[in-house]
Amino acid sequence: MGIKDKLKTGIQRNLNQKYIIRLLDIISKKPALYAYGSTFSSLSDKYLNIFTIESLRNAYSDNNYPIGYGSLFLPYEMFHALGITPFLPEVMAGFTAGLGLATQTLKESSSNWYSQDLCTFHRSASGAVELDIFPKPDFVITTNLACDAAQKSFYIHSVKYNIEKNFYLIDVPYEYSKESISYLTGQIKNICMDISSKSGMKLDTSKFKEVISLSNEFRKWAIKVNNLRKTLTNYPPYYNGLNFILPFHGLAGTREAVILYTQMYKELKKYLDKEEKEKSGKNKSPKRILWLHLKPYYKNEIFDILERENCIIVFEEINYIHWPELDCKRPFESLAKKMLSHFLAGSIDNRIDVILKAARDYKVDGAILFSHWGCRQSNGGARIIKDSLNKLNIPTLVLDGDCVDQNNSSQGQVKTRLQGFVEILNS
Amino acid sequence: MCNNMIQDSKSRNDLDILKNKTNDISAFFENTLSAMDKRPLVGWFCTYTPEELIVAGGFIPVRIFGRKKIIKSESYFPINFCPYIKSSWESLLSDADNFKAVIFTNSCDGMRRFFDTTNKYLKDTPSYLLDVPHLRGAGSIDFFANNIGNMKRFIENLNGKKISRREIENAVSLINRKRKLLKKYSQIFTKLPEFISISSYFKVMELSMISAPEIFTDDLERYLKFIMEAGAENMTKLQPNYKNTPAIMIIGNFITEEKLWGMLSAMNLKLASDDLCISSRYFEKQIELGDDSDFLNLIAERYLNKPQCMRMADLGLKLKEIENNIIKNNIEGVIFISLKFCDTTLYSFPLLKQKLNQLGIPALYLEIEYNNFSEGQLKTRVQAFLEML
Repeated sequence: MGIKDKLKTGIQRNLNQKYIIRLLDIISKKPALYAYGSTFSSLSDKYLNIFTIESLRNAYSDNNYPIGYGSLFLPYEMFHALGITPFLPEVMAGFTAGLGLATQTLKESSSNWYSQDLCTFHRSASGAVELDIFPKPDFVITTNLACDAAQKSFYIHSVKYNIEKNFYLIDVPYEYSKESISYLTGQIKNICMDISSKSGMKLDTSKFKEVISLSNEFRKWAIKVNNLRKTLTNYPPYYNGLNFILPFHGLAGTREAVILYTQMYKELKKYLDKEEKEKSGKNKSPKRILWLHLKPYYKNEIFDILERENCIIVFEEINYIHWPELDCKRPFESLAKKMLSHFLAGSIDNRIDVILKAARDYKVDGAILFSHWGCRQSNGGARIIKDSLNKLNIPTLVLDGDCVDQNNSSQGQVKTRLQGFVEILNS
Repeated sequence: MCNNMIQDSKSRNDLDILKNKTNDISAFFENTLSAMDKRPLVGWFCTYTPEELIVAGGFIPVRIFGRKKIIKSESYFPINFCPYIKSSWESLLSDADNFKAVIFTNSCDGMRRFFDTTNKYLKDTPSYLLDVPHLRGAGSIDFFANNIGNMKRFIENLNGKKISRREIENAVSLINRKRKLLKKYSQIFTKLPEFISISSYFKVMELSMISAPEIFTDDLERYLKFIMEAGAENMTKLQPNYKNTPAIMIIGNFITEEKLWGMLSAMNLKLASDDLCISSRYFEKQIELGDDSDFLNLIAERYLNKPQCMRMADLGLKLKEIENNIIKNNIEGVIFISLKFCDTTLYSFPLLKQKLNQLGIPALYLEIEYNNFSEGQLKTRVQAFLEML
């Protein structure tokens, strides 16, 4: 049994916060952390895991920094500028799937009256909150970008910890307009000021500038990575662009995100250089796939099947850099624009524009929309997405499944549908 | 004694006649139902839509109930998607020509995708999405007022005519009158469960949302006059079936199932309060227009501060609203009934259940489809719940 399996089994057997803290204490010690890091076959995976563990260690530790629960699409720069340690329950729900804990967390949420028709990211996170395996937050910050679920489930978390007064919703308007920017800027500014006064952490403009500058640096490297991937066909082993959700969002504005994306760029560049040297290496060029939405975070065969069928994921919409460079002099307004420019905000046309741009830029042969159970905002637009891609003669597979609940997805059916789709691509 | 019995029997007979008459909604609302008003229709879905502006623009605001069986809609939306939206889309696919335009709100994820779908596949039907904030503070009211101003411009463009201040004032007065009468009707209904059936109550509510408001309010006023003249006081004394019946509150979303209301009426359920978007969340709170007031801000204020939908951010405030209604109406049991896949409503139940437990109020949790109602199963569950109470 390898170190990763041992960790998994350990948590499954001792599902409590005390054990998680002990485990994080051991593994986050420098020698252990780097020994653990070396078990990963790629540099990007190594840094991803090290930074994730460090981030979790901070959230679970008593380091006197306030803990803030945050939903995925928040501008985390505000957390880092305010000195709040972010904890992302939705991302952690993905971990519950990967660690084989989702059956327990989902069961717990059901016994607390969460309907089984709701998104399992939120149900699993809620179950984990009820089981007391997540750290206790001081603040709960959420947004209605990109769906309704976070603002509701996060409010329930705030009630659980008796901190309703420290619950904040960032209400992202439907349209990108002058009025929307002003409405959103006002909210972000007020929230920052309120948290600052409650936590006693000074709203330090120089800190804000530093965070914004780091965020821009991360953005620059992420764009370089995305550009490089337009021609890349060979990836490091186990590289999966859908694994970088935490750093892409939660670490935006930190040095860690800059390091990770710089390393990722360097690593992928090596692969590209090698590829260009060995241009005649492959007889049959792989089918290029655009991935839409997220993926299952439990052990599954999807990506092995695609690899066997000579398909590669050339881009994932979730990694699209949608926001302009942030302005250090206008931090609140910049963060408002970052949120408003998200392709999942407002009309489906915003998402379609990004999808069609990616389809052209990455010269895709086909697209797979992973239809996560209960995700109304995404699945409700599946027909429009499919029709839009069809106009470019790009076949689209809407693959029904569940990102968190293994029991809500039929592996056999997924396999059959993927194989059928590849046949279409090859015809 | 024999005389008393005859008297009782006579009273009972009179009562039944009166009851039947009271519940003959089609007779009282004959004008409303005959659709004499030929102004063009503008469709709407959500109670955050300011009907006043549609009326001021010279249109009849008609809430789309989506009574169609879902067939074509299945190929546009996934299987686990709001059945009301699917049914409404089915209606638009066949009857969109009936509407001059359709107004959506960003009430929820489903409604946003519904608007996108209409925009893409029904290009000939002008559609507009009103952005409703999730917060209720001063900044939100200003922002919402601005959005309402944009909606006003959309309506003006439909017939190329500016809406005057006078037209808005008249429309506000008209819709205020409708809301006032509906509230009065609701109060009478809760006091007189023996005479006004649940089916009749919700039928009137439905008519209020799909009819020319001028004709409807006239009919409703006549109807209320009849009920009052029939002697509300006497009727209250003659309610043996409801004397020891527990007061029930129904909480949910867009529940418009006629068979459900019929079933509850037949069970003599005493509906003492509700929190539904086809009832109290629609008619509560008026718009107070002053001489020099900014009418867009006042409209925004009314809509953001009316009894809120579960989609709003402050679930705590919603629970407080419900708690107040429970206490005010001496509620003894709550039936929570939601359409399937309605995230905002379903997410409210875990906390609502906690709150009800604290108050010692038993709750029945139901999830239903739209236009596809399993009567037998639901009847058993409701009966068991009422027996338990």
